[in-house]
Amino acid sequence: MTSSEPAILAENLAKSYRRTRAVADVSLRVDNGETMGVLGTNGAGKTTTVEMIAGLRAPDRGRIRVLGLDPRRDRARLRQVLGVQLQDAYLHHALRVVELVELYRSFYPAPRSTDELLDMVDLTDQRRTIFEKLSGGQKQRLSIALALAGRPRVVILDELTTGLDPAARRRMWDTIARLKADGVTVLLVSHAMEEVERLCDRVAVIDSGRVLALDTPAGLVARAGAESLDDAFVALTGKSLEVSA
Amino acid sequence: MTEAHGTLVAAHRPGVRSLLTLVGCEAKMVMRDTAGLVVPLGLPLLILLTSASSATDQVVVNGRTALDVFVLPIVLTMVVAMIGIVNMPSFLAYYRRSGILRRLAVTPASPAMVLTAQAIVGLVQTIIGITGALVVAYVVFGANPPAHVATALGVLGLTMAAMYATGMIVAAVAPTPNSAVAIGLVIFFIVGALGGMFGGRDALPDPLAEIGGWLPFGAAVEALGAASAGTSVEVAPLLGLGGTVVVGAVVAGLLFRWE
Repeated sequence: MTSSEPAILAENLAKSYRRTRAVADVSLRVDNGETMGVLGTNGAGKTTTVEMIAGLRAPDRGRIRVLGLDPRRDRARLRQVLGVQLQDAYLHHALRVVELVELYRSFYPAPRSTDELLDMVDLTDQRRTIFEKLSGGQKQRLSIALALAGRPRVVILDELTTGLDPAARRRMWDTIARLKADGVTVLLVSHAMEEVERLCDRVAVIDSGRVLALDTPAGLVARAGAESLDDAFVALTGKSLEVSA
Repeated sequence: MTEAHGTLVAAHRPGVRSLLTLVGCEAKMVMRDTAGLVVPLGLPLLILLTSASSATDQVVVNGRTALDVFVLPIVLTMVVAMIGIVNMPSFLAYYRRSGILRRLAVTPASPAMVLTAQAIVGLVQTIIGITGALVVAYVVFGANPPAHVATALGVLGLTMAAMYATGMIVAAVAPTPNSAVAIGLVIFFIVGALGGMFGGRDALPDPLAEIGGWLPFGAAVEALGAASAGTSVEVAPLLGLGGTVVVGAVVAGLLFRWE
């Protein structure tokens, strides 16, 4: 494995749904072990971009490689090393937390243990709770645990902490920091500036289906001549994130 | 090209252990869905209890009574049809609608695995329903075993395939879980009514009776009745069941969408 080879490579991606163009031209290069943030307002094309990288949608145009694999052609191989948390995916509503964790663990050859996964997302006390009885934040945390079940080398997290209370949010940040320390590559879609600033090595600002800027958080702030990442985002896109969040 | 580290990833597909875990989860989903669990097992039993006692003393042929030749085939076909046409498609439609299949699509699990697990759970539920009905029929009402056991089992297997195929058509055309239940129930009652579920097909107008004999419910009742009586099973009902499997597979293959 050569370090010069990116973990995620997306070149000139484009995707339209009927009359709307969701992604016009997005290119990203995420290095091994890097945490890349994807920042944008609702409808900017963030989710479509990560869904194409995850192999859920075929791009109309462009080329994608994740650890050198084509997400659609090499589906079976990529699924073992890629963990994905989708924004509004649902799970079997009548199953208990522990049953869902064990189901998702069973898909992988060398999964994390059930106890470790529950502990990572603070759901040990809810292990016997039926999925539909969980709060929104707990469902979200379970979804993150399932994304990490197979010890992925690349993780895509769509709206990591949306809907979480401040304590749970900090706990998730610690979890991501630990993944990073283990050399896992993370692609983090977010609305939350504080989260992106704290966790991400670099940030791609996406608007109207295009990458407007790609730099370190500090670099973005300096480039926009702004005081904070918030101000830099407004300067770049002319939009405020807080309104849509 | 930069394929180097991707080639280090060995292709691994979830194996039997994973399928069994999924089967266990699907079984729990079914068990925790009270209506889906009780109706396909309870309703046929109710029909059996209300119509068996009067049917035990009418010997039809070869020492087999009306219970053996008419009532039991209807009861068993009902169990298979409800699970295949109503339950299974409503689960699949719910999985598709709720995003569960999408979530599974980003794991190494394949949609085919979900379908296989559902089919296994449906099969087990069907076997439990059929066993329950047979135990009641034999123990309480003194029913007789089929004259041709192997033929009866073969017909039951073909009936299951035909009902699942019909269920796959329902799952393919239903846009929502609710519509899957509605479409499934309508089809169940149409094939049931034309197939003798509410009384013999003889009472129906000739063209309807003819059509009902070709549709999977009537065909199954006809063939099971013949196997039970020990008379030869006609070709027409077997063609009806086989044809349903083919039509179901083709329609579902063309129209079924995972998303």
